[in-house]
Amino acid sequence: MSAVDPEPVPSLDDALEGEAVLGVYRQMFAALARDGGAVVDDPELVDVAETLLAAFADAGEDGLSREQMRYVCRRYPAEVFENRLRVLKGLGAVREVFPKPNQLRYRASFTSVVGLMFVRRMMLDGGQSEMHRLLALEQLNVADPRMTPAQARAGAEGLARAFRLWSVELLTLTNGTIEELREQAPKLWGADEILAGAERLHGAILRRWPELDRTCTELRAALYAYGDASRRAAARLSDSAGLTRNLTLLPPETWRTFARTASRDELAAVLDGFVFDAPAPWHEPSAVVAAVADAPRAVPVRPAPPRPSGPDPGLADRADAGTADADRLREVAEQALRGRDRADVADLLDGDWPAARRLLADLSSAHLHPALPYRLVWGDGLAARPGAAPSWVSPGVFERTDR
Amino acid sequence: MSDEWAPGILARARARVTGAVSVPAAEPVPPGLAAVPDGPRTWLLPSWPDGATPAVLEQYELAPMPLDRSGQARRVLAAALRCCWANLDDAPWPGVPAPVPAVLDVYAGMTRGDAALAGRWATGELRRLADTGWLVLDEARGVVRTGPRTALWPHEALGPLRDLLRRMPGPSREALGDE
Repeated sequence: MSAVDPEPVPSLDDALEGEAVLGVYRQMFAALARDGGAVVDDPELVDVAETLLAAFADAGEDGLSREQMRYVCRRYPAEVFENRLRVLKGLGAVREVFPKPNQLRYRASFTSVVGLMFVRRMMLDGGQSEMHRLLALEQLNVADPRMTPAQARAGAEGLARAFRLWSVELLTLTNGTIEELREQAPKLWGADEILAGAERLHGAILRRWPELDRTCTELRAALYAYGDASRRAAARLSDSAGLTRNLTLLPPETWRTFARTASRDELAAVLDGFVFDAPAPWHEPSAVVAAVADAPRAVPVRPAPPRPSGPDPGLADRADAGTADADRLREVAEQALRGRDRADVADLLDGDWPAARRLLADLSSAHLHPALPYRLVWGDGLAARPGAAPSWVSPGVFERTDR
Repeated sequence: MSDEWAPGILARARARVTGAVSVPAAEPVPPGLAAVPDGPRTWLLPSWPDGATPAVLEQYELAPMPLDRSGQARRVLAAALRCCWANLDDAPWPGVPAPVPAVLDVYAGMTRGDAALAGRWATGELRRLADTGWLVLDEARGVVRTGPRTALWPHEALGPLRDLLRRMPGPSREALGDE
């Protein structure tokens, strides 16, 4: 690299120039500096700097003495104040009125105040209103007859860079978690106005200096990228907005405008999916039983009484066990026999099959029941009876056995 | 415009908005509604096709109609049934009127804690149940009776409920003697 573009030997002039630039930087961000090399880690420290700068503004050209400064900042602990003053002095935001030893009176730097104003504004809405201001300023600059093409190019390049970074940030948010996107929603507000302003500026630059078309192309691409990113982020937000009902996703003015200008159908669509005339709750009998069973009990559940250790004979030897079933089978059997001693099964099963098979099952049960005096006797052979039901039968007899 | 709608649709919409409504028994019953006779009047209730009840929602793994403190509401309903469903072999509808203090007494016997507080909770549940047609509450006379919606219970599902009500202790004598 040195062969192509030999490193120029730094001269004292260069060093002086660099030092001047650094001085401006330092003064601008003195309010944010924790010490000579880092940013504050507590917002209160910035408040100290602001209080001081305000006091300096009131004091006029005489400046403030050290005791006056301490008095102004009496709300803050002494060590905090000392630390702030040392840092502000070190970075040139506060300096002696005359650069000589044992100086008692101090004055503040104008650059620091402007820097702090800028920082506060940035805090309010993440640099968005700053973007508006920059666009408006650039618009004025472009109309200014003293503007040179180089300045216009620098401005356009700066804007293109800012829009690129902004769209990258929005894309990251779009692909990140929805909570993060919601927090950063103010960054999406008014994207259309910013885009329109930027396009106006782009058109103005291109009309006045057609030779800057390359820079303008860059700017245009950055603008389109920003437009896409903000649309995607907004779409993701509005997709999830229906679920959260978080009304702070949009500025209040937007809601008010929507409420005033929307048609009746659009307003009604907001409540799509809500049921106001909800159907009455249903209490299933089993649910009522379960609810009573789950009730908090007035008295604690008592444990079951102890069981005898011997074998439990159970209920089998009770006289009436199982008589209901036998009674029914007896009734069916007597109905089938109708006073006779034996009946032909094929005659009994005459009729439709659903009824016949129930009867057959009952007759079989009566046959198998040990206490009932009936039996089924089946003969050999198989009679096919096409068209009838049942369509085949074996010759069989149902008879009583007790006579 | 309104004459384009079938009477069944209008009746269903009215039933959903106003809950159970009773009409004179002489009026025709719109299709899609179940008519529950109640003396000279008839309650019109939305009925489900094929004899299903909303309990089928559970089989389809759908969330039922949300209900706050469903357990408490159903216990109050059980207490009211204990007092109003006099003949358990019969159907719960129409039931007999029972004094509200008796129902509150049965409910207080079912829960633990402050009886006065339980009574206030139960009064609120009685009103809610009356709003949705599960009970018929006459606050002026201080009596309550089973609601027409209980007539939609399928008969074969009533067995466990009958068993429960047979086991449940009834109202005490003071509660019945109060009114």
